[in-house]
Amino acid sequence: MEMLLMGVTLSLLGVAVSAGLFMAATRDVRTTGQNAGLEPLPEPEPSQFFAPSVTPMARPIVSVDVLLLQIERHVRMEQAAAESFMAMPTVEMLHMPTASPLVH
Amino acid sequence: MQQAELLHGLSPHDAEELLKIGTRMTLKRGTVLFELGSPADSVYIVTQSRLSLTLPMMVRGREENVLIEERQTGQALGWSALIPPNRFTLTASAPFGAEVLRIPREVLAGHLTARPEVGYIVMRNVAEIVGQRLQVFQAMWLREMQRVVELSAAREASA
Repeated sequence: MEMLLMGVTLSLLGVAVSAGLFMAATRDVRTTGQNAGLEPLPEPEPSQFFAPSVTPMARPIVSVDVLLLQIERHVRMEQAAAESFMAMPTVEMLHMPTASPLVH
Repeated sequence: MQQAELLHGLSPHDAEELLKIGTRMTLKRGTVLFELGSPADSVYIVTQSRLSLTLPMMVRGREENVLIEERQTGQALGWSALIPPNRFTLTASAPFGAEVLRIPREVLAGHLTARPEVGYIVMRNVAEIVGQRLQVFQAMWLREMQRVVELSAAREASA
């Protein structure tokens, strides 16, 4: 009987620890989702009669400084891609995608 | 310095002679070497660090200088000084500080006229620099156009 009670107690304790860890992990994800340097998303505007029927993709609004850094990175990547095309001029090289955040 | 792209193909003696007509300039961090639209009176060779070439662009209603190209040690900039209408078509700045060799247009033109064999090689190098830039920007322009076409098609499909 004592053994059974001990088993039940340990099982309940394990469940409680697992639940606690799960909640902590979920809270971490929510916190890291709000990156530093990103401005909060604006409230969605009420739909207009002329608004497109599709819901626009929700993208975080970055600050001007972050946007300028992204543009700079984009230019460097595009230039590298264009130079690669010059070294090996093929259609595939011309349209080779980059990891630029501006086009994803 | 004799390996600078503007001097490719010149004998060490001719390269040295050409370098002698230049003046070294130290640019502090953030210095603007020349501005878009200003008279192009000199050609420059980067001797240390790198320079950013930028163009103004409206970003969220604010005019910002956006990076177009970078010029590294040994590379030349300011070739507008050699080609009419002799106006700079970009703004050059030294975001991290740099050192350049400044070669005044008039002095360079005089040197190249007096030494046509040197002038031919230097102008061939200029043509190569301009040609490479043109090809790179053609490819970059086409890549952006491709995106414009794809965005346009996606917009039409969602309408």
